[in-house]
Amino acid sequence: MDKSNQQLGAATLKVVTYRTGRFLYFLLGMSFMLIIWHVASLSTDGELPGPIQTFSVFYDLVSHPFYDNGPNDKGIGNQLLSSLERVTKGFIIGSVIAIPLGLIMGSSTLGMNLLNPMVQVLRPVSPLAWFPIGLVAFQSAQTSTVFVIIITSLWPTLINTAFGVSTIPQDHKNVAKAFGFSTFKYITKVLLPFTLPHIITGLRLSVGIAWMVIVAAEMLSGGVGIGFFVWDSWNALSLEKVFSAILIIGLVGFVLDKTFKSLQTRYSYDS
Amino acid sequence: MIANTNILSEDKVKESILLRPVSIEVKDVTVSFPTPKGEYIAVKNIDLEIRKGEIISLIGHSGCGKSTLMSTISGMVKPSKGEVIVNGKKVTGAGPDRGIVFQNYSLLPWLTVYENIYEAVDSCIKGISTDEKHAIVEENLAMVNLTPHQDKLPKQLSGGMKQRVAIARAFAINPSVLLLDEPFGALDALTKGSMHVELLKLWNLDNRNKTIIMVTHDIEEAIFLSDRIVVLNNGPAATIKEIEIVGLPRPRNKKDIVNLPEYKSIRERLLNLLVEKFSIEDDGVKFEE
Repeated sequence: MDKSNQQLGAATLKVVTYRTGRFLYFLLGMSFMLIIWHVASLSTDGELPGPIQTFSVFYDLVSHPFYDNGPNDKGIGNQLLSSLERVTKGFIIGSVIAIPLGLIMGSSTLGMNLLNPMVQVLRPVSPLAWFPIGLVAFQSAQTSTVFVIIITSLWPTLINTAFGVSTIPQDHKNVAKAFGFSTFKYITKVLLPFTLPHIITGLRLSVGIAWMVIVAAEMLSGGVGIGFFVWDSWNALSLEKVFSAILIIGLVGFVLDKTFKSLQTRYSYDS
Repeated sequence: MIANTNILSEDKVKESILLRPVSIEVKDVTVSFPTPKGEYIAVKNIDLEIRKGEIISLIGHSGCGKSTLMSTISGMVKPSKGEVIVNGKKVTGAGPDRGIVFQNYSLLPWLTVYENIYEAVDSCIKGISTDEKHAIVEENLAMVNLTPHQDKLPKQLSGGMKQRVAIARAFAINPSVLLLDEPFGALDALTKGSMHVELLKLWNLDNRNKTIIMVTHDIEEAIFLSDRIVVLNNGPAATIKEIEIVGLPRPRNKKDIVNLPEYKSIRERLLNLLVEKFSIEDDGVKFEE
């Protein structure tokens, strides 16, 4: 009893030490970056704002995140939420298109041969190139932004889903064949469980790129949004705000990625 | 100890086998696969008649096409010539009358032990209620002593346990023919031994009604389990080299049968059939004595 408690204590201590260690490295890296930033700021005679100026602006921004003084002056929280809303819409619509297409592509040679050339040609195109097409089609800058995010979210999910389906091991297919699984049972008990981790990987990549693209797309579209906020701050010559926005965009992206990473762990399996 | 065991003469065995109805007919089967280098013939002109309740081993060197022949019977591979008839019906694909135990267990890793068996039962046995299906799964799990492990995932099981799940799954669909593709190849000797006994136990529980065909490269295993042993020539284009009849009385006891002269002579004959290849190849090799 005593011994096992001791062992448990030792194990906990190990975990705590490990975490403290990681945190110390994090602090060390951060301070290093802040020092470089500070020196860079000093060397430009403050034209480039340093960490101290930036953090005071950052604090102002996040202490009143949801104020609304008309269309051109909204709190950072409002900006962020409106960007997140567009990304969510675009990402969901994109995924709803990409997953079934990926399943078709992966499971049939015909589907692969038909779709793959198109995918390979369109995938390398910057999603922003679709912005004008969106404008013509939807007559609205906001909808166009969502359209750009839809296009962005398509490719990684589509390709990963198709890859997942096409790599279902022959063993698993043989089980389905030998025991006469119906198509429905094959899809729900073999195809989807095997493909799910691949689909989630695709979604994780898609949401990451979508979050990068939204900033650029909103610079084009204007209105409300974190990307437009960056552009607006630049026009107002407030680099402190630009830096603050960069920090916030980074943190949100980090949280999004972590969320999908935990989903990935949740739905992965070892054979 | 072994005084009471009456070794059956070959003719007697043949006679008793011939009394049973035909279970499987392999008629002039040739299987070939297209490869980039041209057609590869795996097995050629195979004729084999298997009676109901027989245990048959297919034995031969690696790559001699024994698994291919097995897959033809299971319906997973179509013969390029000839046909396989199971219970009077021509085989055109896999069917629930043939239960398969794969070489590498082939359990679905995201399903529990219970679910792996249930999904097979659910697909193969039509016209019974869900409760009855669950009862079948529970009964078969109990037969292989896996009830305490029913909620585990395959990755949490040892190799022997996985193979027991695979066997329980094949038995659960109550097929008339059981096809085992090197079922115990990946197991250690001790586990293998107890699996043999377990397989025979299941076969006995069913009144020896199931026809069992097993692919193996283990001579002792083949003798212990089989009524007849089909020895294949080396591929490509493998044919049947010899069919050995195992006249050892059942139930067999591993410790006892190894002392029977009949056991020794079968073993001797099989070794000669299988090992001569090496003695030729080893001609040029000098051994240090």
